[in-house]
Amino acid sequence: MIFLRRQLPLLITFVTGIIFIAQYYVPHPASEELLTTVNKWLQIIGGFALVLGVTSLFHQHAVKIRRREPGWGYSFVLYAGMVGTIVVGLAVNGKESMDGGMTAFGWIYSYTMVPLQGTMFALLAFFIASAAYRSFRARSREAAVLLVAAIIVMMGRVPLGEYLVPVTGDITQWVLNVLNASVRRAILIGISLGAVALSLKIIFGIERSYLGGGRE
Amino acid sequence: MTLAEKMLRLDRRVIFLLIGVCTLIPLLYPVGLAIKVSPEVRGVYDYIESLPEGSVFLLSLDFDPASKPELYPQAVALLRHAFRKNLRVIGMTLWVSGTGMADQVVTQTARDMGKVNGKDYVFLGWSPGVSSLIITMGQDLYKAFPSDYYGNATKDLAVLQGVQTLRDVNYVVSLAAGTAGIETWYVFGKDKYRFELGGGCTGVIAPGLYPLLRSGQINGLIGGLRGAAEYEVLIDKKGRAVAGMDAQSVTHFTIIGLVILCNVFYLSLRRQRTERPS
Repeated sequence: MIFLRRQLPLLITFVTGIIFIAQYYVPHPASEELLTTVNKWLQIIGGFALVLGVTSLFHQHAVKIRRREPGWGYSFVLYAGMVGTIVVGLAVNGKESMDGGMTAFGWIYSYTMVPLQGTMFALLAFFIASAAYRSFRARSREAAVLLVAAIIVMMGRVPLGEYLVPVTGDITQWVLNVLNASVRRAILIGISLGAVALSLKIIFGIERSYLGGGRE
Repeated sequence: MTLAEKMLRLDRRVIFLLIGVCTLIPLLYPVGLAIKVSPEVRGVYDYIESLPEGSVFLLSLDFDPASKPELYPQAVALLRHAFRKNLRVIGMTLWVSGTGMADQVVTQTARDMGKVNGKDYVFLGWSPGVSSLIITMGQDLYKAFPSDYYGNATKDLAVLQGVQTLRDVNYVVSLAAGTAGIETWYVFGKDKYRFELGGGCTGVIAPGLYPLLRSGQINGLIGGLRGAAEYEVLIDKKGRAVAGMDAQSVTHFTIIGLVILCNVFYLSLRRQRTERPS
């Protein structure tokens, strides 16, 4: 049992990891064919992951409804929305339009999902303004520098700011292309080196958290 | 309670109302200030402009309806430009929740420009895998998408003649609202299959993509609604993005005003507390 739960997955990870590190540098047609085949399998598994995610969501909210836990009404709305959308979607084979006309699935997408998602994102503008009013305070020298930079960039990114103070556009470009790019690059290099180190630890079996918990 | 203390505790509903009014009024009464085009946006425009007729342009609409206000105008502007240049357009998405919207923008813009599905453009839709999908497209496009979004066999489409893999695509632009997006296309696509890559993104993630722009990994970047407005100016077809710039200008200045006001009250309160005898 330990072999199936621990050692076999570690062995598969190690062998696959080494093969595909080598594959990247081997331009032979057999190597390219291997890459194509394995990626096709990954796409298939990715599709099944969707099914797994939906099943997990169903189960979680079914438990909440059955036990009448606080907020179970929202779970019921979610359940009804999901089941309704899936049934309607399957009935029209996932098509949003058919013969030039909108299907019921298309109606659900265009008149509920699109406006609801847009609204959620649009609300952010109000909360950002409120948060900026409460937190953008020059409590220290560094905070003051951040504040001044934020004001200049906010001005430089809109036509009114460039019209009133033309130099803000150029300063904004310099801040984005020089200061911002250099710092982001440093962060990206750090993240990338960390990702390489983590990947090697996973391939060589040093990092095993992906195997999950449970007794050995 | 002093005035400064009262103002620092201002009910956020007042701020919400102010932002709402400042967004609405410029939309109803636009001013139409001039929009200066940045080198980042010009990079994408100039590359598409340099492509000969019949070149293959792949537009990956990697966003969901939440990012529609910023990225939909970018998509419309890019598609109009590509169709005007008579490029062969391939539309697709890496985000399953954006598939319907992506289909809508490609189909509607193509219809407006008098283009024919299968001959001038194709919408491939979505397929699972993200990075695996890009790699599969790089190996064999027809294995990644055996049929288009409408079920037509991709091998039979005139628009995809001569296109076997991503190596045969002349230009890829990813309009991204996050991950999966431009970085995914670069790491799993351009780095191996050597096509030219440009990007469009929401304003929030644009600063994070400047390292890719500065190093030449992407040849242009359309950032947020401002980027979309710049592109509309370049193609001489003003649309939603230009219309939204007045509202964005006033809203930005409102936030700047609020921040300055907040700091005036904060510093005045701090001085009062320092001067007050203990």
